[in-house]
Amino acid sequence: MNLEDFADWLSQTPLSIALTDSETAFPAIESLHVIAITLVVGSIAIVDLRLLGLAARRRDASELIASILPITWSAFALGVVTGILLFAANPIGYSANAYFLGKLILLALAGANMIAFHLFAHRHLAKEGALAPKLSGGASLTLWVAIVTFGRLIGFTL
Amino acid sequence: MMTASLVDFTHWLGGTWLAATVAGHFWIVPALQVVHILSVAVVLSGVLLINLRVVGIVERSQPIAAVLDRFLLPTGIAILVLAITGALLIAGEPTRAVFRTIFWVKMALILAAGLLTWSHRSALSATDFGVPRVRVTRKAIALVALLLWLGVIVAGRWIAYVEAWPGAPA
Repeated sequence: MNLEDFADWLSQTPLSIALTDSETAFPAIESLHVIAITLVVGSIAIVDLRLLGLAARRRDASELIASILPITWSAFALGVVTGILLFAANPIGYSANAYFLGKLILLALAGANMIAFHLFAHRHLAKEGALAPKLSGGASLTLWVAIVTFGRLIGFTL
Repeated sequence: MMTASLVDFTHWLGGTWLAATVAGHFWIVPALQVVHILSVAVVLSGVLLINLRVVGIVERSQPIAAVLDRFLLPTGIAILVLAITGALLIAGEPTRAVFRTIFWVKMALILAAGLLTWSHRSALSATDFGVPRVRVTRKAIALVALLLWLGVIVAGRWIAYVEAWPGAPA
């Protein structure tokens, strides 16, 4: 089953119909989505700026990450749940939207970058001026700004 | 609330070079909105960390004063950027926000949330052996402040979904 077939099927489910019928459901879920993504981007930026050596330099990077990332992950979980519900409100429209599809690809890249960080870069955190954490931090910031941009552009191109 | 002067103001604003520029280039409104959202990210993360640190459930390794020092300034700068991008967005479509009650609710929430968050600075004066003693009322203020900030985002999103005041210019 490809994305188009899945979107067709989803658009006929009670969930999808309820989301399109209700006047308050979509704005409410959208608001929660905005809260989720702004917390993801803001908290990730704190970590990324530290990795880039641009902020909180006196603070131990591992300790900062351990303190902030739980917030990031909780917000990301909310973002995924609200994102799926938003998609369910108009599956056919979104699955045909280039910026939505692009955003999914960018999210996958951001996820891959995070995995790469945990696998490789984080053991170099203690080394002053190490390149791997900076590359991770820079890539992360760039990807998340792009994700927000693509996300906003969906609304203009539906 | 829809005074003659508000109508006159939007009419005047709509005729300015600024309004024409913002509305006349397809990429400006999306760009302003993206900067607006990124600034929201800075503010919401900052006020979340500040207020939840006052409550005592995040960043516990950091003194409250340190969290305030670290995040009040970036938050303040981001609020400035939000005001500027917000004003430019209004200039691009002058009758959209100002004739909807929810927009003014949003402005009031920003003021209230901002004042409550700023007020934490005074909470650091009472200490037990140099560690700030945070009273329950101060923690309650922090939770209320955070809820008000979340309300700002909800109110902002809802501008697109509500009707304008009857008789408001299109």
